[in-house]
Amino acid sequence: MFAAFLLSALPLVAPQGDEPTGQATVYRLDHIETLTGDALQNASIVVRDGVIERIGQSVIVPDHARVIDLRGTGSVAMPPFVLGQAQGLLPSDSRGTGGYGRYVAAGVHRADEDVMEDLREAGVLLVGLVPPGSGIPGRTSVIRSDASELAEDTLVHDLHLVMTLDMSKSSKDLLRKAFESAEEAIEKEEKARADWQKARKEWEEKQKAAAEEAKKQKEGEGKGGKAADEPKKGEDKEPPKEFQAPRIDPNIQPVVDLIRKERVVQVWIDSPGEWLHWLDVVGDREFAWELVLDHGNSTNLHEVADAIAAAGVRVYAPARIPNLPSTQLRTNLVAELLAAGVEKLVLLPTSTRSSRALESWRVGLGDLVREGLDRNAALRGVSVEPAQAMGQEELVAPLEAGGPATFVILEGDPLDPLARVSHLVAAGEVIYDRAKEEEN
Amino acid sequence: MSILSRSLLLALLSGAFTLPAWAAAPIQEPPVEEEVVEEPVLEEEELVEEEVTEEVVEEEPAEDPNSPYLAVIGGDVYTVTRGVILNGTVLCKDGRILKVGQDVAVPEGARTIQAHGMRVYPGLVAVESRGIIPGRGTDSVDSFDPFALYVDLALAGGLTTVQSRGTIGKLTRGTLEGHLLGTTSWVDVSYSSFSPSSRRSTRDSFEQAREYLRKLRSFELDKQLGKKDLKEPETKGVPMNHVALLKGERMARFRADTASDLLAVCELLEEFPMRAVIQGGREAWTLAPRIGRTGASMVLTPRAKDWADPELNRPSGWSIENARILWDSGVEFAILPGQAGISLGGLAGRDLLPLPMEVAFAIRGGLHQDAALRSITLDAARILGVADRIGSIEVGKDADLIITDGDLFDYRTFVQWAVVNGRLAYDKQKASYFAHIRPREEDEAPNPVEALLEDITDGVQDEVMEEEPVEVDAPEADGGR
Repeated sequence: MFAAFLLSALPLVAPQGDEPTGQATVYRLDHIETLTGDALQNASIVVRDGVIERIGQSVIVPDHARVIDLRGTGSVAMPPFVLGQAQGLLPSDSRGTGGYGRYVAAGVHRADEDVMEDLREAGVLLVGLVPPGSGIPGRTSVIRSDASELAEDTLVHDLHLVMTLDMSKSSKDLLRKAFESAEEAIEKEEKARADWQKARKEWEEKQKAAAEEAKKQKEGEGKGGKAADEPKKGEDKEPPKEFQAPRIDPNIQPVVDLIRKERVVQVWIDSPGEWLHWLDVVGDREFAWELVLDHGNSTNLHEVADAIAAAGVRVYAPARIPNLPSTQLRTNLVAELLAAGVEKLVLLPTSTRSSRALESWRVGLGDLVREGLDRNAALRGVSVEPAQAMGQEELVAPLEAGGPATFVILEGDPLDPLARVSHLVAAGEVIYDRAKEEEN
Repeated sequence: MSILSRSLLLALLSGAFTLPAWAAAPIQEPPVEEEVVEEPVLEEEELVEEEVTEEVVEEEPAEDPNSPYLAVIGGDVYTVTRGVILNGTVLCKDGRILKVGQDVAVPEGARTIQAHGMRVYPGLVAVESRGIIPGRGTDSVDSFDPFALYVDLALAGGLTTVQSRGTIGKLTRGTLEGHLLGTTSWVDVSYSSFSPSSRRSTRDSFEQAREYLRKLRSFELDKQLGKKDLKEPETKGVPMNHVALLKGERMARFRADTASDLLAVCELLEEFPMRAVIQGGREAWTLAPRIGRTGASMVLTPRAKDWADPELNRPSGWSIENARILWDSGVEFAILPGQAGISLGGLAGRDLLPLPMEVAFAIRGGLHQDAALRSITLDAARILGVADRIGSIEVGKDADLIITDGDLFDYRTFVQWAVVNGRLAYDKQKASYFAHIRPREEDEAPNPVEALLEDITDGVQDEVMEEEPVEVDAPEADGGR
């Protein structure tokens, strides 16, 4: 882990010259899903100092480079899998339901090494953790699957605020009340600031006037005039030089941040009706939000696909083909969202209760592509898109020269759930190597 | 040529006014030419139909989906209050009915529904429902699911407004806007022969309420006269609900089925006149004039049966003529089926989905069709206290309409479109549940079930149906609900 830190830190420490410093590693592959738009056949990736130095079909192998030749094995490289949302995958804070109050960021008590190993084996580099519970259960965080020490577990401690909405008055009231309390707190602070500014200005003016008065009197004294008036004592207490904001209830602070556009909220809904109710709760407020579609095996969310696209928000959707309610008619909701114009689309596994459940992820992904979803969009939705949502685009990005050397190598098509992961490389460092694991 | 056309004309005339063409033809022509006569007739009819549909297509102006206007054109409009307007047009604007008549100009860009050959009724009203809207006061809208399956099914059944747990809600599919129409002012009054004590306490409450009202009246009179040291009568312990009933501010709701219970309610209403609705009323036909004199409304279930008691020396049990007899005695009533819910797994034919079928039994028992229609539109709205907004097709009322492909009380009839607040809330052709049953011919888009079948047959059907523009709409229909 420490080595990884060193490696990733090196390019920053090293002088910015043209001369490469570290040793190069060349991965020769059958197929590369760069996710920039083009897929490369029979191509290589040259990695040095945690960065992709070159990528393409005809690249010059640098001197003394280590060559890992995986050609002829059906090998496919792509940016690593990023699990946009996981609930219950790792032992985390358990929270009550149906309330708001603590807004604690989801965190892990204990990095379960078995789960971490499963994640790496599945080619997953980053995992977004979501606090359990409903209402406003808390904030999300992000961990790396190669983290081992508890202190290093969490890459991002505090990311999005989570809100869930049910089709009930109590659920809507909870969110409404949160927004209203936050707005009250902001109003209170603004009023306090205005009061302070006024007080400060008045005090400063008084000081100035007093100073002038004193000056005049001094002059007067010099001329032998009347004795000075007694200086006012303690009548005007000096207002603090810096504004001291009234304390905001920490419970409401994340919502305050949200309204101040300093934070993003993730809203969980599972039906088109809840979509309308969310819009009703939001009203005229403007803040950043993302939409998590949390539906099960049947949904008619496609009815609001256009409206969701028009909102221009990032959408998380399960990689599955649901039925229309009470029918056997299947609807490729993800493809419809994309067709409606949703630009930022993150695809989630249908369950993250255990690392075994991750298998369903690629099964669902394959289904979606077979039934009309764009292949590139599907693969982006499980790698670079969720990484962007986590603010980790410097670690996980489409594969191109100059970009981070972070990728997964599979023994076959990523959409084939039976294709195993052979390597997982994070910023140039191999954090999973199937051959080595099997030796051990 | 002329002989042929004359015989054709004769055949047409005789077919139209007296006998069907096949029966009339042998009288006009020798049997050999029978087939010759028959075929041109059919062709002529087809030609005429085609011309009509083509004209309609040509007349259709470009529609603006955001237009405040919605025009339902060319249907027979059953207004409820002003009879039937044949080939009429209902023009709606901003959710209200703007114009109704035969010569209504349709503004440019208006959204239109071509209802030629169809019937236009006001949206149906269920005075009681379960599971369609959440109900419970004005908070209902915060729990309402405008995409729920049951909303779709209720609209398919012709309902546009339902009452549940005191909430009168519109089935505004796809939007929360305009869902809440109001709340009922009902006070449930228990007055059953099964519980003499509750009867006594109910009577006591009304006595107290009346006493309070007397005191209040004299207090108000004294106040007007300018008397001093007046004390307002105490409201503590006074059943204010009952006061509101006696003041006519609210409506009492009784449940009574047997003649004895109904008689007791009548006696109570005679002693304490108030607005009332009686739910049940299986034996109401045995004392219809008496109920009529109390002015109470009723909620009937024509198919609710109860056998006559042979030991009683009076008429008893249910009667299919119940609704007709009550109508003749001036009793206003709404009709409800045995189950007030809607579900795909419910008892077929006995819930709100085929509400007009429940009414059809009353028609079978002699009820006039106009009265029958009122029982699930205007009179139901009056019992709910919202007749100023819904229940008939009149200028100024809410644009809640249903368009059916036949007589509302015919078992073959389907609701083709439902309009709520001037918005298209239901289109049979686009809803997956009934789209495949007798699909509308003029619709070019295949229904979802057909689209699915086409997908399965992998384009084999597409080749066969090359001429029809089916392929163009197939992806869209695939994503349709």
